[in-house]
Amino acid sequence: MERISSHQFVVLGSAVLMGTTFLPIASIVTEVAGRDGWMSVLPGFVVGIPYGLMVISLLEQYPRKNLLQISDIILGKWISKIIGVVYIFIMCYFGGLLLGQAGDIYQSSIMPLTPIGMFYLGGILLVFYLVKSGIEVFARFSEILFPLIIIALVLNIGLSIPRIEHGELLPILSEGIRPIIWAWLKVAPFAMEYILFLAGILTFLPTSKRELVQLKRGVWRTVFLVGFLNMLVVLIQILIFGPGETVRMVYGLLVLGKMVEISRTVAGVESVFLGAWLGALIIKAGAFFFTVTWGLETVFNLKGLKWNLGVGVIFMGIAFKFTRGPDLVMEIGLVDNYLILPFAAVWILTLWGISRWKGAGIS
Amino acid sequence: MGSWMKMIKELTIRPKGERQIRKSPAYSFDEDLKKPLSGQTVKEILSKSSDVVFREFFLQGKDRIPCMLAAVDGLVDKNLLDQFILTPLMVDLARHPELTQVTLSNVVDKTLQSLLPGLEIKKISKMREAVDAILSGDSVIFFGNLTEAIVVGARGWANRGVAEPITESIVKGPREGFSETLRINTSLLRRKIKHPSLRIISLKLGDMTNTDLVITYIEKIASPDIVSEVLKRLSKIKMDAMLGNGYIEEMIEDNPYSPFPQISFTERPDVLAGKLLEGKVGIIVDGTPIVLVVPAILTQFLNVNEDYYQRAMVAILSRFVRYVGAFMAIVAPSVYIAVTTFHQEIIPTDLLMSISAGRQGVPFPALLEALTMTVVLEILQEAGLRLPKPIGQTIGIVGALIIGEAAVTAGLVSPLMVIIIGLTAVASYAVPTFDLSLAVRLIRFPLMILAGVLGFFGVTVGLYVILIHLLGLRSFGVPYTSPIAPLRIRALLQDTFVRAPWWALKRRPQLMDVEDPRPNGKG
Amino acid sequence: MKTERGKGHKFILRLTIIACLLFLTGCWGKKEVEDLAPLLGVGFDQGEQPGTFLVTEQFARPKKDSSSGAEIEDRTFSVEASSVREAFEKFSEVAYRTPFMGSLKVIIIGEDFAKSGDFNNILDFFQRYAEFRRSMYLVLAKGKAQDILNLKLRSGLLPAMAIKSNIEGGDEISVFPTVRLGHYLTILGTKSTAPIFPVVESVKSREGVEYKEDGKDEAGEIRIHGAGVMHGDYLADYLTDEEAKGYMWLENDVIHRLINTVDLNENSVKFGGQVLKANTKYRVKVNNDKMEIQYQIKTSIAIDEILGPQKQLSGLEWVELVKQAEKDFAKVIEKECESSIKKERELGLDFLGIGRHIEQKNSAYWKTIKDQWEAEIADFPISLEVKVTIHHSGMSSSSASNSGGEGQE
Repeated sequence: MERISSHQFVVLGSAVLMGTTFLPIASIVTEVAGRDGWMSVLPGFVVGIPYGLMVISLLEQYPRKNLLQISDIILGKWISKIIGVVYIFIMCYFGGLLLGQAGDIYQSSIMPLTPIGMFYLGGILLVFYLVKSGIEVFARFSEILFPLIIIALVLNIGLSIPRIEHGELLPILSEGIRPIIWAWLKVAPFAMEYILFLAGILTFLPTSKRELVQLKRGVWRTVFLVGFLNMLVVLIQILIFGPGETVRMVYGLLVLGKMVEISRTVAGVESVFLGAWLGALIIKAGAFFFTVTWGLETVFNLKGLKWNLGVGVIFMGIAFKFTRGPDLVMEIGLVDNYLILPFAAVWILTLWGISRWKGAGIS
Repeated sequence: MGSWMKMIKELTIRPKGERQIRKSPAYSFDEDLKKPLSGQTVKEILSKSSDVVFREFFLQGKDRIPCMLAAVDGLVDKNLLDQFILTPLMVDLARHPELTQVTLSNVVDKTLQSLLPGLEIKKISKMREAVDAILSGDSVIFFGNLTEAIVVGARGWANRGVAEPITESIVKGPREGFSETLRINTSLLRRKIKHPSLRIISLKLGDMTNTDLVITYIEKIASPDIVSEVLKRLSKIKMDAMLGNGYIEEMIEDNPYSPFPQISFTERPDVLAGKLLEGKVGIIVDGTPIVLVVPAILTQFLNVNEDYYQRAMVAILSRFVRYVGAFMAIVAPSVYIAVTTFHQEIIPTDLLMSISAGRQGVPFPALLEALTMTVVLEILQEAGLRLPKPIGQTIGIVGALIIGEAAVTAGLVSPLMVIIIGLTAVASYAVPTFDLSLAVRLIRFPLMILAGVLGFFGVTVGLYVILIHLLGLRSFGVPYTSPIAPLRIRALLQDTFVRAPWWALKRRPQLMDVEDPRPNGKG
Repeated sequence: MKTERGKGHKFILRLTIIACLLFLTGCWGKKEVEDLAPLLGVGFDQGEQPGTFLVTEQFARPKKDSSSGAEIEDRTFSVEASSVREAFEKFSEVAYRTPFMGSLKVIIIGEDFAKSGDFNNILDFFQRYAEFRRSMYLVLAKGKAQDILNLKLRSGLLPAMAIKSNIEGGDEISVFPTVRLGHYLTILGTKSTAPIFPVVESVKSREGVEYKEDGKDEAGEIRIHGAGVMHGDYLADYLTDEEAKGYMWLENDVIHRLINTVDLNENSVKFGGQVLKANTKYRVKVNNDKMEIQYQIKTSIAIDEILGPQKQLSGLEWVELVKQAEKDFAKVIEKECESSIKKERELGLDFLGIGRHIEQKNSAYWKTIKDQWEAEIADFPISLEVKVTIHHSGMSSSSASNSGGEGQE
C-alpha cells in the first residue's frame, strides 16, 4: 500500500486547493463585492478548516478507509452507493471541465491558432501518466511544482507592483458588509473541492496519533496559505485594474502576466508563467482523476488500466463539449455553486454528525 | 522521519526478473574440475596453454617427494617465486632441522607450518580451487599424487600503478585514483577508512572470466536492506563475461529504459570513501578503475567532490553554475525555437528586429535549423571524443570555427542560432558527470521537436513528463529525486543545491535509511 | 506483474504514437520570426465615408545590415476601414508578412477623430486581442495621426519608436501625462474621472526649436507637449503646457522636473532648478459645513541656475536668497496648479480625479453628490499648500556674473 507523509499531505493539499483558483477568483469576488472583494477570499477558504477537521476526525475513527467506505458503514449500503455515484459524477465532470480550462487558457492567451484538442491531449497525457505512476509520485510531483507555482505567483504579483494605480482600494466597505458575504459564498466552493479530494485520499494518509495531529495542523496551514495567496492575487488585480476592469477580465492574472515588464525590455513573460499555471491545473485535474478512480474502485470495484483509460476518455469528452470559452467558465461556476458546495457541505456534515451521535450513544 | 523509514521498508523493491544472458554451454573441463585434485590432472587441463608453466622438482625429506609448481607466466612475480618458494624448498631445506621428519603423508602440513615463508599461503583440496588459483595468478605446489596442494600468493604483473584519474580531475584535493587491480583499489580505500566497520565482501562473477569483485560498505551506516538488495541483484547475474563495470551496471539498474544514470561511478578513493560514509554501497570490479556506487540520486550527479575541498561559499557558487548549466543545456535550443516561432512577444522589440534581420534569407525553419545544428554538434563531439588529443583539437577548430563561421556567412544558419548551439554545448560541459550529460543530450531532441510543434506548451509538457519520469525512478529503493521530493529538509539545505560549511554538517544527509546518524560523518 | 521487457516495448510504442501524433498533424499557429512584420504604431483618423476611419499602421521591416546589425525600414500604410480587423485584412492583402501585434508601442488618435468620438469602440480590439499588451501608450495627435506616422524624422527613428522613447524619457521632465492602455481603461472604470492623453505634435523648424531642415518646410522632429481631456468618447479640449504641468503636480506624477521662476515678476533674481523628488497628498476635510479638498505638495529642488544677483553674497544673505527661492518656486508651482484647477472648473470635467479622491476618503458624502458632480466641480472648494525645500544650489554659492574686486572675502 502506498503512503504519503504528512508533509506531502500539506503540499499536495495546498496544490489541489490552490489549483487554478487564482485565475478566475478576482473576477468572481469583485463581481459580487466590488473593490472589497478581496476581504471575502480568506474567510471563504477558511470554510475548509472545519470540514477538513471533520474529515480527519472521521479518519481517526475509521482508519485506512475513504469517506465512501465510511459512508457505507454509517449510512448503509444503498445510500452510500447513491452518494458514491453522485461523487464520481461530480468529480469526473469537474475534472473534465478543468481539462477544458487548460485548453481555454492557452488558446485565449498565447496560442490562438493551435487546435484546442492538442492542449487537452497534452493535459490528459500528463494527468494519465501521473495517475499511472501512483499517488506517491503524484505527491512528489506536487512537492516540486507547488513551490514553483508559488514563486511564479509571487513574481507575477511582485513584478506588477509598478503598475499599481493609486488609491484603487479605497474606499473600504463603502457598500457595507453584505456583498462580502455573497462573495464569501462564491469562494466557499473552492474549499469544498479540496474537501472532496480529501475524502478520497484518506486511505493513503498515516494514522498514528502523532501524525493525525500533524494532519490537522496541515489542514490549517493549507487553508491559510492558499487563502492568503489568493487574497494577494485579488488585491493586486483590484489595485492595478480597478474593480470595473477586474470584473471584465476572464483570467485577470494572465493579463497581469502580459503587463509585466522587467526594466522596460523583457515583456510578455506570461508564456513562461503559463508553464507554472499548467502545472497547477495538472495537479488539480490529476487530483480529480485520482478521486474518480478511487470512487470507481470503492463503489463498483472497478480498477485497472482499462477503467483508467475510460475515465481519461470521459475527461476528454467533457472537455471537448465545452470548447466555447464563455460556456466553460459559466459551467465551472455552476458546478461549483450548485453541485460541489451543497453536496460536500451536506454529505460530510451528515457523516460527521451521525458518527458523533453514534459514538456518543455507544459510550 | 519515521514515516520515511516505514515507507522504505514497506516498499518492496521491484523484483528483478532472472536476467540470463548467454548461458555458458557445458564445457568439457567442467567434468575435469569435478575430478579429485592431482597435479597430473591439472597439467592435463592447463598444459595446452603456453603461458602456464610447470616446474617439477623433488623435495628431499625422509622421503623423496616429487613436487610440481604450476603458475601462469607473467602473472607471478618470478623473483618472489625463486626467492621464497623454490630456493627454500630446493636449496635451503638441506639444513632445515625438521626436514628429516617430512614424509609424503605430512608434507603439506609441514610445508605450511615451517618450510615456506610468505604471507599468502594456504592449503587447498579441490580441483576448481587449484585451477582458479593458478589462473588468477597464484602459484600452486602439488606434492606427488596427493589430493592436497598449497597455494602461494606471489602475484606480480604489469599494472598501471596509482595514477591521477582522467575522468574526475580536480584542482584542489588528492590526486590518486583507482587502477585496474582489485587489491590495489581495496588498499586505497582501506587507507582512507581505517575503521573495523568497513566491510569488504568478495564475490566472483562471469562463468568464463571469473572476475573478482568486492562489495564494500560500512556496517552500521549503510542500510542492510540496500546491502542485501545489492547482493541479491548481483547474485542473479548469470553471464559468461564480466569485463567491466558497464556489464554490472546495466544488469542491476532499476529501470534500464531510463536515459538517466541510476548508478554513480567514481575513480577516486576519496570520493568512494565519502560516499560509503554517507551510507552507500560500493562495487569494485577487478580489471577496471571505475567503482560503482549505489544507490544514486539525481542531484549527486551534479555535485563533485571538489565542492568538499573548496570553501563553502565558493562551492555554493560553482554548484549553482552547474545547475544553471544543466538546465540551459536541456532547454536552451527548445526555448529558442519556441520563442522565435510561437512566442515572439517575449522578445524585446529591438532584439526581435535583430533576430529577424539575422534570419533573413535563412532557408530553413527554426526547428530544422536547430535540429541540424544540434546533430552537427553531436557529430563533432562524437568525432572528437575518441581521437588522439592533438587531432581532437583540430576537429574542434575545423568543426566549430570554420564550419560555423562559413555556415553563417553563407546564410545557411542565423548567427543567433550558432550562439545558442554554442551556449548549449558549453553548458552541457558544465554537467560534471558524463552519464548525466549523455542523458541531457538525449532529452534535448524530443524537447526541441515539441517546442517546434507546440511552443512553450510543448516544452512544458515535455519537461513535466521528464519530471514525472524522474519522480517515479528509484535507485535501490531510494527515490531518485530525494531529497527534493520526498523532501528531506536537512539533506536539501546541507548538501544539495548548496553545500553548508563543514561545521554545519552536523548529521549525515539522510537520503536513505541510515542506521547511525552520527555527526560529522563525511570523509 | 508485467515483465520489464514488455514494459519497454510499451514505452517505445507509446513514444511512437506520440511522435506520430505530433508529426502527422503538423504545426499550428507557427510563424517564423522573419515572416513577421512587427507593428510599432497605429494611428486613427476620421475617414471620408461616415462610419469609417483611416487606420495608419506603421510596421518595421528589419533588414540585414552589412555589419551584422539590423537596420529597420519603414513600412507605413493607411487604410480606410470600419473596424480595425478590416484594416488589417486590407493591409494583409498588400503585404506579404503576418502583422505581429506584440510589439505595438503606441496608439495615436488624430485630432479630428478624437473630436468626433467613437474611439472606445476602436480600443476594444486592442484590449481584447491576446497579442496586445496593456502597457502600450496612448497619445493624441495635433492634426492627423497619419501625418505624424508618415514623418521622416531626422534622427532616423520611426515616428512610433520616437514617440515611445519620448514618453519613456518623460520622467526626466514630467510635463505631460503618461497614459498606458491599462491606465486609461482603469480611469474609464471610475466613471467620474475624465481621461486625459498626452498630445504629440510635429515640430517644424522655428516652431520653438530651430534646426536644419532636410526638405522644404517639412517637420523633422516630434515632441509631446500638453495634453487633451476627453469627455466620454470625444475630445473636449486641449490643456496648455502650464495646465498639463499643474495636472502633473496634482496627480502626484512628478518625478523630476526642470523648473524656473523667470515668469515671476515680483523678484529681480530668477532661479532655475531641478526637482529632485516630489510628493503630493490630498485630504478631504469639512470646512464650514462644506467639504473641501486640500492638496499638499512637498518637493525638493536643487538650484542649478541663478539669474540676476550682481554681487557676491555673504553667508547670511545667501541663506536669505535660498529662502526666497523656495518661496518663488512654490509660487510657480501654485500658479501651475491653479491654472489646471481653473481649467477643470471651466470645462466642468474632472480630469484631476477630485471626485474619485472624495470617494476614497469619504464615500458616504460622495454618494450624495455623485449625480450632480459635473455641476459641483465649478465651485467645489479646493485649497493648495506647496512646500518647497531647496536641497543645494549647485557647485558655487555665487554667480559668475558678479564683477571682480567687489566684496571678496
